[in-house]
Amino acid sequence: MFELDNLSAAFGSATALRRASLTIRPGDRLGIVGESGSGKTMLALCLMGMAPDGARLSGALRIDGQDMTQASETAWQSLRARRVAMIFQEPMAALNPLVRVGDTVAEPIMVHEGLSRHAARARVLDLFEEVGIPDPAARMRQFPHELSGGQRQRVLIALALACNPALLIADEPTTALDANIALRITDLLVRLAGQRDMALVFITHDLAAVARATRDIVVMYGGDMVERGPTDQVLANPAHPYTRGLLAARPDPVAQTRVPGGKRPRLPTIPGTVPSLPDLPQGCRFSGRCPVEIARCATARPGPTDLGRGRSACCHLLTEGTT
Amino acid sequence: MTAPLLDARSLTRRYRLPRSTLLGAAPVLTAVDNISFTIRAGETLGVVGESGSGKSTLARMVMAFERPDAGEILFRGDNLHALPAAALRHQRRYFQMVYQDPFGSLDPRRTVGWSIAEPLRAIGTDADTARRTAEALEQVGLHPRDGAKYPHEFSGGQRQRIAIARAIVTRPALLIADEAVSALDVSVQAQILNLLMDLQDDLGLGILFISHDLAVVASICDHLLVMQHGKALESGPAAHILRQPAHTYTQTLLKAAGVST
Repeated sequence: MFELDNLSAAFGSATALRRASLTIRPGDRLGIVGESGSGKTMLALCLMGMAPDGARLSGALRIDGQDMTQASETAWQSLRARRVAMIFQEPMAALNPLVRVGDTVAEPIMVHEGLSRHAARARVLDLFEEVGIPDPAARMRQFPHELSGGQRQRVLIALALACNPALLIADEPTTALDANIALRITDLLVRLAGQRDMALVFITHDLAAVARATRDIVVMYGGDMVERGPTDQVLANPAHPYTRGLLAARPDPVAQTRVPGGKRPRLPTIPGTVPSLPDLPQGCRFSGRCPVEIARCATARPGPTDLGRGRSACCHLLTEGTT
Repeated sequence: MTAPLLDARSLTRRYRLPRSTLLGAAPVLTAVDNISFTIRAGETLGVVGESGSGKSTLARMVMAFERPDAGEILFRGDNLHALPAAALRHQRRYFQMVYQDPFGSLDPRRTVGWSIAEPLRAIGTDADTARRTAEALEQVGLHPRDGAKYPHEFSGGQRQRIAIARAIVTRPALLIADEAVSALDVSVQAQILNLLMDLQDDLGLGILFISHDLAVVASICDHLLVMQHGKALESGPAAHILRQPAHTYTQTLLKAAGVST
């Protein structure tokens, strides 16, 4: 359905996304995890046909068998909303403050499906109910500032679902929300994907959210997909040194507590910082920060090593037989 | 038992909201409702809660930017909000704040050395500014030479180190960190949390650490205060609350923070 085949996105000599391969089928729930500069948002923008001007795409991005890397904006417009839709991190910024939220959600239905305003509003009412907005008829007439952060995010989800997309991309959908609201939105996305047999791509830096929402996971670093596999297995037993570092650096609320009177344990860290795009190493992107680096890591890019049970990771040490 | 560094007693802060009708009385929001806590030297109190729970209002009162409507804050025995202006200005060097946004809190047109030395100039100290600035940079893991650079030359994590350097340059006894690691990537977040723990061990700092993320708070705090709608839901030793959260809201926060659920 959606297929990336060695897709790269480059700005001059800097590569924001390097030879990404991925297949997304109906009902998939895929987590894309990475820190800033990992290429996860670039990947999402490519899937939406919204890669920034100046990005040079190579490789293939096929939607329903059709390569879209060189497709025109018009071709993308006919796909967006109906095949692929996206929700963003900051719900206030994504809604027009001067338009009633019901009209915002009705617009793509009228544009893409040619429904009358009246028919579109009936559909919006159903959508608001489906995403769990209480008293939907009254909410439709309200403006974004009259809604709470969680309600706004639900409106954005309704907007994304308006034309029944086959793929929903959620880019940090819960980062701006409070903990208990974030949990409810995450669970809502999982339920909607199941009910509609819709694919869900969940982009986040939050490992707890990914563990809750997704079945499979791709870990990205510096534009490379460094590890992938079933979410529970990757998080329980990470194979790539970066995934291991990322999991260890995340404080565990119970295990990390100080023994009264004792010295607090320090958190394991990944040394250094994510290099900026032009400064990324040529070989493995993680070289220079990797604790188990060997000589050729800096120069040769490791390919994916099949680890069985749907898992793979890109690390030279895996082909050496030691980690 | 020594007296606590900071002793906050029954703090309450109310805000008058815009009136909803022309002649009706303006509604009042109680942002902080009868909160008490203490912080001792070398100890960290973590304050967790969602947005609007009153945790930043609490920080602003401890920083003496705002006056409580009821209650008092004793800093080393002095009632902060009863001090004459000159005495308060003198005390300010002993409590300093680190903010969330490492991009917004540094002047892009000044060298970081200038920004770090700013609190020294503000308190009118005759101390050797250059030497103190270099010392602060070293304490946060940067090089004294970095003082000549501008903020854009640093990453987010390094900028947060600079913000911490500016906070400790006056040799404070109390550090107030308001969501100080929330804007950082996970791997960088761990580095900054470790830095705060190192500084605390070296300098004996008391820390008021505010965050919405229970996992982050747990890694650094001795005591916890869980807030919702301005009220204290529960407080006590961090280890105890995390093992046996009494309130369902605390349990939700734990659930949101855990990878293995």
